[in-house]
Amino acid sequence: MIDPFVVSMVLIVGLAICGLSVGIAMLCGSIVYLALKGFDTSIAAETVLQGLFGSYTLLAIPLFILAADIMNVGSLADRLLRFSQALVGRFRGGLGHVNVVSSLIFSGMSGSAVADAVGMGRIIIGMMTRDGRYTASYAAAITAASATIGPIIPPSIPMVLYALVSDTSIGYLFAAGILPGLLMGLMLAVMNAVMARRRHFPVDEAVPLRQIPGVTLRAVPALLLPVILLGGIYGGVMTPTEAAAMAAFYALLISILLYRSVSAGQFYRTLLSSARSTATVGVLIAGALAFNYVITREDVPDSLATIMQGLDLGPIGFLIAINILFLAIGCILEAGAILLIIVPIFIPSVLAMGIDPVHFGVIVVVNAMLGLITPPYGLLLFIVASITRQPLGAIVRDLWPFILALVAALAVITFVPGFVLFVPRLLGYQG
Amino acid sequence: MNRLEKLAGRLRGAAELVVVLLLGSMFVTFLVQIAFRYLLSLPLGWTVEYVTMAWLWGILFGYAFVVRDDDVIRFDLVYAAVPPPVRRGMDILTGLACAGILLWSLPKAWDFVLFMGIERTAYMRLPFDLLFAIYVPFAIAVSLRALLGVWHALRGEAHRPGPPRDLEHD
Repeated sequence: MIDPFVVSMVLIVGLAICGLSVGIAMLCGSIVYLALKGFDTSIAAETVLQGLFGSYTLLAIPLFILAADIMNVGSLADRLLRFSQALVGRFRGGLGHVNVVSSLIFSGMSGSAVADAVGMGRIIIGMMTRDGRYTASYAAAITAASATIGPIIPPSIPMVLYALVSDTSIGYLFAAGILPGLLMGLMLAVMNAVMARRRHFPVDEAVPLRQIPGVTLRAVPALLLPVILLGGIYGGVMTPTEAAAMAAFYALLISILLYRSVSAGQFYRTLLSSARSTATVGVLIAGALAFNYVITREDVPDSLATIMQGLDLGPIGFLIAINILFLAIGCILEAGAILLIIVPIFIPSVLAMGIDPVHFGVIVVVNAMLGLITPPYGLLLFIVASITRQPLGAIVRDLWPFILALVAALAVITFVPGFVLFVPRLLGYQG
Repeated sequence: MNRLEKLAGRLRGAAELVVVLLLGSMFVTFLVQIAFRYLLSLPLGWTVEYVTMAWLWGILFGYAFVVRDDDVIRFDLVYAAVPPPVRRGMDILTGLACAGILLWSLPKAWDFVLFMGIERTAYMRLPFDLLFAIYVPFAIAVSLRALLGVWHALRGEAHRPGPPRDLEHD
């Protein structure tokens, strides 16, 4: 008798490799598992329906998607870029720094790396490549690299997914991302400065001092958004889900009233594209819910925890192994899939090792984001490639130094839990 | 054919309107909930129920009728690398497996949905069979789309390109 679990795993992997939607493949595999086990196959539908209906916190996802889409339609990105240019544009390789700084600011408003690359990324790549000041592949590389910060600094859609599978507080997870995100930005800026010197990138004309107050003033409404978001969540005024709704509302408000840049037709199309993204991610979540039933039923996570403890790796060894494993998986798998399928298997091991689940969350989300820019399969790579019309190979060559910089940041994040947990502890996290 | 295409276009437009209304009303309901709780100190119960319903329906209805084939999250590393005839073979394989499994398990799922008719939601008193009924059109539509892929593959047409695909959120 062949083991039903093995059959369903082979089926899921096989169907996924042959190009079936990952979510649907997991749903089908789970149904086959139930049938082979002699259980009622409707358990799959039940798990999906009850799971989606019962997951109120996940509603932050469509709302953060909507907020990001609204910001990208309005001229918000434009204003933020001009503000960043006034701030750091005067240094050698200035537009590279502008790229990093604007990503840092934007990541405080949106929870999606893709939204960052598509919105801001498109504009700044245009600025960098105009008059051939930077090569298109360099512009693409630094844009992709800086977009990975988006979901590290709160808000963050991947962290909502992690909170779902690990039963951790979204609020503390968000707080734990702040310092790591800033560190990643710093590392990228340092690497950009090194590259600018070595490759003799131009020094741009500085924005005249007397223009700076005006540029700042125009960006203020946008800059207030992260303050409202974080203030609302940590002031205990709003749940992260409600904060997501407020973010979308605020973005809509300033886009319509102040920047006058969103029409009714545009708003309809924005809602439609957000709804599409929501359904796409949602079905992945649905498949993961069904598949997690199978995984739990088979006691996979607990067995793995026992094996891991038997290996005697110690927390440090375990984390090194996890980083290597996740970086490798990230080369070929989607971030959402990693967080929803692979991570839950490891959660009991993490707890058994005495590793803090919030700390671990930041580690895996950073890993998943690195996965978005590591070849051969990386969503951000594909996006910047399609924006710049550059071959992937050229972009990847310019991307390596930045990947190294981010891996260095990941090392600090992994081995210094106190750094990651500093802000959550300030806010009362007992871990 | 022309009339058929026009009809298909209209249906697509209608389906798009449905998901826009679902997401739009979810957004507005959240704002109402926040306003009532923090401005008027009147916590509402139905809002939580409504938004989770809109979320469930938005996903299953949206995936069945609005999401395009190239939006879908898939592992297309291998798929994109193989020559078109192999790709068509993969389409036939996955299409038949997916439609077969979903349709075969549908009667049981349908039973579960009907069974849930005995329960109602806490605030809006909606019967759960109505709420969960969306699973049925979802499973049927996903199966039909899978079979359509098989049909295209048999006729020798590639029905979707490899990466880079359309953008979605991570």
